[in-house]
Amino acid sequence: MTSAPIHVPVPKVLAAGSFRALRRELARHPTGAPVILDCHEFESADALAVARLLRIIAEGRAAGHDVRLAHLDDAARRALADVDPAILEQDTVPRRHPLEVVGTQAIEAAATAGQVRRLAGATVAGLTRPFGAEGIKWDRALRQMALIGVEAVPIVVFISLLVGVVLALNGATQLRQFGASIFIANLVAISTTREMGPLLTAVIVSGRTGSAIAAEIGSMVISEEVDAMHTMALNPVRFLVVPKVLALILMMPLLTVMSNLAGITGGYAVGVLGLDLGSDAYLSQTVQSLFMSDVTTGLVKSVVFGVIIGLVGAHRGFAVRGGPEAVGRAATSAVVTSIIACIVANAGFTALFYYTE
Amino acid sequence: MSTGATPPRLVVEDLVAGYGDTPVLNGIGLTVDAGEIVAVLGATGSGKSTLLRCIVALLRPEQGRVLIGGRDVHGGRDERDEILRGVGLAFQDAALLNSMTTAENVALPIIEHWGADEDTALMLARMRLARVGLARAGDKMPSELSGGMRKRAGIARAIALDPALLLLDEPSAGLDPTTARAIDELILDLRARTDMAIVAVTHEIASIDTIADRAVMLAEGRMIASGTLAEVHGSTDPRVQAFFERRLVDDGASSGLVGELEWKT
Ligand SMILES: Nc1ncnc2c1ncn2[C@@H]1O[C@H](COP(=O)(O)OP(=O)(O)OP(=O)(O)O)[C@@H](O)[C@H]1O
Ligand SMILES: [Mg+2]
Repeated sequence: MTSAPIHVPVPKVLAAGSFRALRRELARHPTGAPVILDCHEFESADALAVARLLRIIAEGRAAGHDVRLAHLDDAARRALADVDPAILEQDTVPRRHPLEVVGTQAIEAAATAGQVRRLAGATVAGLTRPFGAEGIKWDRALRQMALIGVEAVPIVVFISLLVGVVLALNGATQLRQFGASIFIANLVAISTTREMGPLLTAVIVSGRTGSAIAAEIGSMVISEEVDAMHTMALNPVRFLVVPKVLALILMMPLLTVMSNLAGITGGYAVGVLGLDLGSDAYLSQTVQSLFMSDVTTGLVKSVVFGVIIGLVGAHRGFAVRGGPEAVGRAATSAVVTSIIACIVANAGFTALFYYTE
Repeated sequence: MSTGATPPRLVVEDLVAGYGDTPVLNGIGLTVDAGEIVAVLGATGSGKSTLLRCIVALLRPEQGRVLIGGRDVHGGRDERDEILRGVGLAFQDAALLNSMTTAENVALPIIEHWGADEDTALMLARMRLARVGLARAGDKMPSELSGGMRKRAGIARAIALDPALLLLDEPSAGLDPTTARAIDELILDLRARTDMAIVAVTHEIASIDTIADRAVMLAEGRMIASGTLAEVHGSTDPRVQAFFERRLVDDGASSGLVGELEWKT
């Protein structure tokens, strides 16, 4: 069926309003007949108008019209001469089937898991070779310990102290009703060493260090520094990841111990100053309530959290593609992912200890 | 120049490579012997840097092989690292490590691969920097250098280990004529002293004529010319001629849209 071509005049000035009108008009026509956009009035000096015209053509074609142009003047011809015909096809973004989206995400998740596993393998390989030419970069590791550990002490102590105070105050209102105020010491000691100390430390270190690792490695990726290391036969994991993970493994338990002490101190302050419990009584109650296993459990967890923070940060950093805003996104995502991973791991630990004790 | 016993320093065979779905290189072949300088020419976006990325195994080709000293760079990780110790690449944008001083950048491979102590390595690094005219810039951070200085520091790092194969991505682009000339002399001097095999991506016609023994020219991922400098100069391909005459080529792609769209009655 070859029906007669449909003539549609293109106005002189293709401004926003006339652009919309022209699109509507084109949409009204049935497909099949060629649609001829008559350009004899069209003012092609306006670059935006030319772009609008091309958009109308692309949309018309996508809808099944055979769109053509008639009466192009020389200026319009020149304006279109440099345009790659492929542009008309690129204009329409294909919609993806929901199943395809889910499938793609599943494939990406599997790929991510593989990447993290490889990164973890390379990191363990690096950690188990402490000395020699291919060994741990101890100077870098020491610098990281200062950065990750020492510099985090004030904020860890401050926050843990406050959380200890809050725990004790909350406990006090309940326990006082039973005349059992002294058990605040148990409450604070156990919840701090088992859960709050390791978790608070993990959250603080994620925010401080996880984001920094992702940002540092990510910006090295986009400035080709990581590529340069590869071509110099230098293993980026050994230089960039192993020292940081090592520092995290060593510093997380120490920070956790400080967090524990600060939390207990907070509870002590409330107990002695606010509730008149007596310093000696509070301290001996604390010591009695604590088992060594509570403390060591917390410390083991903190090591695992450290490894999670280091690997997640490094993975997000190496995965950066694009520009500076991708580095920012990697830093954010490193913090969010590592906090979630630490809390999930913590729940796993708690369940494990509950059923094995 | 290669005897029967020693394989060429670099062999690229039928290389096909790209990024994701975007094909970039299609059937590239190249052989470079010791003591040879080969220029890689081509318009911007034609895949010259991509070719170098394949040679140093930053990009895995979909097809073809890269042999350096007769060994496959894409063979395996350990093999690759061993081969790459004998290869220097000066990146187009230098790619210095921004957390170290310029001298520390150049010293890094010397410490790691030659096992030098830090002070000795820094001494050698300063010697390398002096060769590219940066004797006084060693203590500066990369961010404190000008673009041209960074580029030269990148070259100093690439020659740090006296590589058997040196790859230079636009070594003199953006340099003033005197410095560009000095880089050309450095390249010739390296070849004369150490018999290095050198691949230089470049747009500078003067530089090509000064340094290159042979040249290959890429366009749209294919080799459109390859051979001695005289042969490439004499190529009948309009794109090659246009390059040497510094003309813009009309590749016929233009005005496709007008032709496709115009309604003729
Ligand atoms: N990381 C990347 N991801 C996707 N495509 C890329 C990437 N890097 C380069 N390309 C594409 O590959 C093609 C070749 O790029 P390449 O950098 O090799 O060109 P070139 O010849 O070095 O150009 P120039 O002279 O400008 O440096 C270009 O079309 C570019 O868009
Ligand atoms: Mg390039």
